Amino acid sequence: MDYVPHDDTEVSKMLAAIGVNSIDELYQDIPKNLLIDRLNLDAGLSEPDLLKEITELSQKNTVYSSSFLGAGSYYHYIPSLVDFVISRSQFYSAYTPYQAEASQGFLQAIFEYQSAISRLTELDVTNASMYDGASALAEAATLTTFHTRKNKVILIEGIHPEYIDTVKTYCWGRSIEVEIIPLDQLEHKITPDIAGVCFQSPNFFGEIENAEEIVNLVKNVNSKTLVVQCMTDPTCLGVLTPPGKTGVDVFVAEGQSFGLPTSFGGPSLGIFAVRKKYMRKMPGRLIGLTKEINGEREGFVLTLQAREQHIRREKALSNICSNQSLCMLATLVYLVSMGKTGLKEIANQNFQKTHYLKQKIAQIPGYKVLGEKSTYNEFVVKCPNFAKLASSCKKHGILPPLELTKYFPERENEALICVTEQNTKAQLDEFLTLAKEAAL
Amino acid sequence: MTRITPELIFEKGYDGMKNNFVPKMDVEEVDLNAILPPEFQREDIDLPNIPEFTIVRHFVNLSEKNHSLDRSIYPLGSCTMKYNPRINEVTARLPGFAQIHPLQEENDGAMELIYNLGEQLREICGMDAFTMNPAAGAHGELTGILIFKKYFESKGLKKDKIIVPDSAHGTNPASSVMAGYSIIELKSNEFGEIPLDQLEFAMQGGDVAGLMLTNPNTVGIFDRNITKITEIVHKYGGLCYYDGANLNPIMGVSRPGEMGFDIIHLNLHKTFATPHGGGGPGAGPVGVKEELIPYLPCPQIVKGTQGLACIEQSDTSLGRVRSFWGNFGVLVKAYTYIKALGAEGIKRAANMSVVNANYLRSQLQDIYDIPYNANGRFNMHEFVMDCHLPNGVNAEDVAKSLLDRDLYAPTIYFPLVLHEPMMVEPTETESQRDLDKLITALREIYELAKINPEQLKFAPHKTPVGRLDNTYAARKPVLKK
Amino acid sequence: MDNPTDLKYLATHEWVRIDTDVATVGVTDHAQDQLGEIVFAELPDVGDSFSQGDDMCNIESSKAVGEVHAPVSGEVIEVNETLEDEPEKINSEPYTGGYLLKIKMSNPNEVDSLLDAAAYQATLG
Repeated sequence: MDYVPHDDTEVSKMLAAIGVNSIDELYQDIPKNLLIDRLNLDAGLSEPDLLKEITELSQKNTVYSSSFLGAGSYYHYIPSLVDFVISRSQFYSAYTPYQAEASQGFLQAIFEYQSAISRLTELDVTNASMYDGASALAEAATLTTFHTRKNKVILIEGIHPEYIDTVKTYCWGRSIEVEIIPLDQLEHKITPDIAGVCFQSPNFFGEIENAEEIVNLVKNVNSKTLVVQCMTDPTCLGVLTPPGKTGVDVFVAEGQSFGLPTSFGGPSLGIFAVRKKYMRKMPGRLIGLTKEINGEREGFVLTLQAREQHIRREKALSNICSNQSLCMLATLVYLVSMGKTGLKEIANQNFQKTHYLKQKIAQIPGYKVLGEKSTYNEFVVKCPNFAKLASSCKKHGILPPLELTKYFPERENEALICVTEQNTKAQLDEFLTLAKEAAL
Repeated sequence: MTRITPELIFEKGYDGMKNNFVPKMDVEEVDLNAILPPEFQREDIDLPNIPEFTIVRHFVNLSEKNHSLDRSIYPLGSCTMKYNPRINEVTARLPGFAQIHPLQEENDGAMELIYNLGEQLREICGMDAFTMNPAAGAHGELTGILIFKKYFESKGLKKDKIIVPDSAHGTNPASSVMAGYSIIELKSNEFGEIPLDQLEFAMQGGDVAGLMLTNPNTVGIFDRNITKITEIVHKYGGLCYYDGANLNPIMGVSRPGEMGFDIIHLNLHKTFATPHGGGGPGAGPVGVKEELIPYLPCPQIVKGTQGLACIEQSDTSLGRVRSFWGNFGVLVKAYTYIKALGAEGIKRAANMSVVNANYLRSQLQDIYDIPYNANGRFNMHEFVMDCHLPNGVNAEDVAKSLLDRDLYAPTIYFPLVLHEPMMVEPTETESQRDLDKLITALREIYELAKINPEQLKFAPHKTPVGRLDNTYAARKPVLKK
Repeated sequence: MDNPTDLKYLATHEWVRIDTDVATVGVTDHAQDQLGEIVFAELPDVGDSFSQGDDMCNIESSKAVGEVHAPVSGEVIEVNETLEDEPEKINSEPYTGGYLLKIKMSNPNEVDSLLDAAAYQATLG
């Protein structure tokens, strides 16, 4: 099954039109010793055989009926219309909208996404998306150095460990110094030669940091130093003070929670929004409103392209070109489907249901909730026997929480529990029962 | 005159309604102020509540204003807009793939898929190992160049330059700079090929880490000297990077690994038929030869004595380039595609992409200027025309006039080694009948340029909007409403 | 447009007007014509210092970016703020209202190395 439409007669006619006798002649520039006879791969499959084989492969993964795992990838409800919209041929089989006049649909959708994220974050400019939250944070960290012409970035502990690793990689590439410090040392560590300070809130452990306080601490030392806030689950913005209000300069987030399945961690999108003064240093595509050259109709185009690699080449501040457009479209459809009321209700439910479980589990002998700060939909619990809890969860079709040893080897029996609006009270109570049993 | 403004989704809401997408609140609700200090709470959100049906209509109407591959040929050069088989959408949405969490332990099927896709790509490309982490071609390039960096660092060698040809995609130099390299640009010869003497001269400097190259190159020509090129780079201790943007015409025919390339990135959204989605998501796997395996990013899935295992961290690895495993859903689609085609299908797809490109060229070259094809050479998957039509009609005019004929335009103004380049890549999934529609349109446009150039210069006329003002957009950016 | 004879030039298409120790800098008519419609001038900050030949700032059209080199060494004492709202002045008045910035020269001898109008015109071939 090769999806090639021609039959042999048509191929012969085309070869004759080209003026050759065989396909091989067309490959005459390839040195003979580089030609291969046949790939050592299986023969192709018919669609029914293919579907059967791949379905069987998919079934080697366990699909759970409920989950207490988050840590950067979340099970939120996805309205049915989201997948319907992104499955339309006109969107999913289009390329980057180079020919604006024939791409107004996608261009307008990106413009609406930029607007929706700017409304949600109260920041001036949002790009058309990055690959994911981690790479978005990495590009934000490097952006701070372009703007300030300083070469050192501070990361506050509590950023997702995989994001920290990604930032380190990007900064190593450009020889930017990175220092990772706990929040309570920021006051002592912040100096005027810092390009940017990056923090996550709600942080990896679900705790909500005081963004305004961080901004003030930093700006008091050097008003030009940029503050970057990162989020792994931006559904909290339904309730939380937006970064535009707290003084943050750059906001990045993993967008998966807005209408995309977990899909083993990808594809999703990186949300990237900045204050206007950083607009020309920001990576990624931007869509702008314009008008016809010879008419009065308005329309949308790719704009500020002089920032980008195809024009600026080695002078470009980022190499990104394709983003995650279709995922961005899913996010737009999600946000407008929820509307402001839905977004508030979702965020509130995440707070409330998490609070319910947090209170109840704290009452079980042997369990201790760690940390004092307010939490969104994740929190850390010291467990008497994590392994037992995890295995009994799995037996009941429940995806257990993350044990922090995954990223912090010394933190044994500490569970990062995630609760979303999708967890019913019955599921929460069942988990509590299993927790109680696991303590025995 | 009054402006005619597009109606945005934000204008379609009602304050007093809401949709049905929030589950029942079945735990006892506490005062939010008790669990979240009021100063951490926002006031309002400036997003409307919009009825579900209104949203569906809005996006269906938007979609109607968008040209796509499923409507007609989309011959963007270097983009490989081939048919996206629907079965791929079905497999990527199987619950066992779409619903699994990246950190769950019961993931044998996902690990197997990632590993097996790597094995398939190894076989196709002649490399020794692949990482599936990178999310796009440019991300793959960055990863590949960081592998360069790690390799030379580990050898204690200071090499801070990378060679790219002048026809290279802008990502090549941009990615190199992100890894701390500066660029040496080589001017390609009259066939778009690398001049060997200049390559050797550049390598002799001793500070060159290597070369980034597409082959076939941007003008669609296979560089006959390819093994000499990689030998020269290797002779001076450099590495050869293969930009896989143009792999399509040679998959199953020839292997970049055997040409002497040490690193390769692929664009699964080009060569392996995953949808472009209006600009992503794609996937940009990176393959390397044995010697470079230690430097691959983490996590890496490897075959051990007890089945597949995951290397989360290693001292030699360049580190992480993103969260989790990669654009897994895209990997499922590419894997499904390769399984559908099999060994013969892959080769036939490559072959027919070459037949289609040369057929198109053969039907246009009597009127359009198609350089780089002297002495009876053939193109691979694409070719570049220099669009100087009569009466000053240029590449942009031709592109916009194609839109009026319900066809998408080829890539224009790239590569900028010509003044009015138009880069045409039909791919193998277009039939002769569909190619003939493009040929007829391009020939008609050429004739019109002689008698009615004004019509072309003011094109498009039949699209939802007329030719848009890019300068106006950039001078006073309006990026949201 | 003719290149004014009272100005000095760089082969990289910058012009300079010398007024005792202050140099006013812009780009030539040829440069603006090559770039096309200018959409943005990314100017340095007042107080920034440059050496002769440094990559000082960029001007952008919607399809290209042009680098502007410092024709002389010194400190930026003024930038043309009207370009923020009217970058098109670089196209329409390259030698007057479309100037980019003013530099207080640290080494006035450098002026001797600049081209006069005729020599610059000759570089354009």
